[in-house]
Amino acid sequence: MILEAKAIEKSYGALKVLHGVDFAVEEGETFAIIGPNGAGKTTLFKVLTGESPVNSGEVRFRGQDVTHMPDFRRARLGFGRTFQVARIFPEVDVFTNVAIAVEARKSGAGASAGRWWDWRASPEVADEVGDILERFGFGRARWAGEASFLSHGDRKRLEFCIALATRPAILMLDEPTAGMSPSDRKQMTELLAKLKNESDISIVMTEHDMDIIFELAERLLVLNYGEVLATGDPASVRADKVVREVYLGQHHA
Amino acid sequence: MKRLIAWGLVGLFVIFATAPFTVHAGLVFIAGIAMTEIIFALSWNMLFSYAGLASFGHAAFFGVGAYTAAVFLKYDYGLHFMLVIALGTFLGGVASFIVAIIVLRRASGIQLAILTLALSQLVVTLIGYSTYLGRDEGIPSIERPVMEFGLFQIDMSNQIQGYYFIFFMSLLALVLMWLLLHGYVGRRMKAVAIDPERAAFVGVDVWRVRVLAFTIGGAFAAFAGCLVVPWAQIVTPDLVMWLHSAQPMLATLLGGAGYFWGPIVGVLVLSAVNYATRTFAGLSEVLVGGILLIVVLMAPQGIMGFLRQLVERGPADQPDPEGERA
Repeated sequence: MILEAKAIEKSYGALKVLHGVDFAVEEGETFAIIGPNGAGKTTLFKVLTGESPVNSGEVRFRGQDVTHMPDFRRARLGFGRTFQVARIFPEVDVFTNVAIAVEARKSGAGASAGRWWDWRASPEVADEVGDILERFGFGRARWAGEASFLSHGDRKRLEFCIALATRPAILMLDEPTAGMSPSDRKQMTELLAKLKNESDISIVMTEHDMDIIFELAERLLVLNYGEVLATGDPASVRADKVVREVYLGQHHA
Repeated sequence: MKRLIAWGLVGLFVIFATAPFTVHAGLVFIAGIAMTEIIFALSWNMLFSYAGLASFGHAAFFGVGAYTAAVFLKYDYGLHFMLVIALGTFLGGVASFIVAIIVLRRASGIQLAILTLALSQLVVTLIGYSTYLGRDEGIPSIERPVMEFGLFQIDMSNQIQGYYFIFFMSLLALVLMWLLLHGYVGRRMKAVAIDPERAAFVGVDVWRVRVLAFTIGGAFAAFAGCLVVPWAQIVTPDLVMWLHSAQPMLATLLGGAGYFWGPIVGVLVLSAVNYATRTFAGLSEVLVGGILLIVVLMAPQGIMGFLRQLVERGPADQPDPEGERA
């Protein structure tokens, strides 16, 4: 088990958002959290990544209690994360965006990130950054361009590169295709499928697009008003009567 | 834009390097002061543009360096002036490290501004109680040191030797800061300035990076403070006051925050205004205020940002693929 959530309770003031959420993600699994708007998906996500403290309950990563571990330590432990609205470093160039992540990983693991007086990234860092960028469709010609000029789809892809540069064991994707055009959406789905095939990475994602969920996810958790409505493989969740009523509607049945 | 910056830098280098032979003594004096103010302003911009921290009490660290140098020169403790500079810089770093671990635990934004401002004014008050530090009057008529370097000596009471000592020491600080901020440390600081949360999610310890930036920035400010003492030959609590803390901010906003070279442009413009209005009491403040107002309204990115726009609107009419911004 790579990630485990036990009896997670979370309130914002008087508003209780999560009521004792329990689930576990296996190594190498792609796990999706779905549910209607306001179900608590993003809150659950923030609890898992360490952005938001819990009121009670426990988050475990490979058996280790990480409930109160700050976000940067979770990142060093193996949590990679993307955001609903892509968060990159817009004021620096594409290459630097990824170099920051590679160097942070090296420093975090106690290795050298380079020499402080060297204004170029070290050869190892540069090679790694180049590999990641080329693998996800950023040709060498685009490396020096300022990231603020990128299109929405490219920003999402760059953010993905940043997340992968930390070599995460588990990748947390908060609506990876939100706000994308159909073609960008297709490209992102292919990219995720490729990543799954090529590595043993575990993925936890929230997503509104059910076609993508059913294409990628091995297991689903349906959240409704902060409670777990159902968990299971896509076929059984799809067949679940309550889930159909609450969320999926008839056309996915 | 890169070419413009390169030529601008070559021009500045030539002007500063030849000043003792091309302009009169009064201007040479101002040029010496300007060089230390440039280092001071760059050290503030290291916090502001690279680590996203707006300190309103940066002059306190400048003061640590200045008073260290003043005490050693005035009371003649016989320490080599190079070691005095090293000590002053070190003490500035220690002071800023202590301030950083106290104020950066929780505060950023406006709280940080108020806390740093309050701490620097506290230093002014403390100096006012110390006869050793000259109370409100400061330490006047400081002698310029003579430094033995074995094979040669530098006599700062000779204006040309003193000027070139400051010139090369400032150049050294400038090069060190440039290298630091363009290497991985600078990239990491920049990430923290742009989006601390995103930086944390790639494993950057945001607090540590901020403390590091604050400490190094304070040390460079103290370095500038050490340099100015044998040149100005007087230190007063004015060097620590909030008005002096505001100088690097004005220079940075005027020259262009977000550009490594911005503060230099700002210091030069401020120095020029001060020089041009030296015989009209109060006029320089009005002029500086007016210029700042125009720059902020017309070119929020400062003079450097304005130049960049001009260059990029030129015949080529292409966005700069190099990504000039520091």
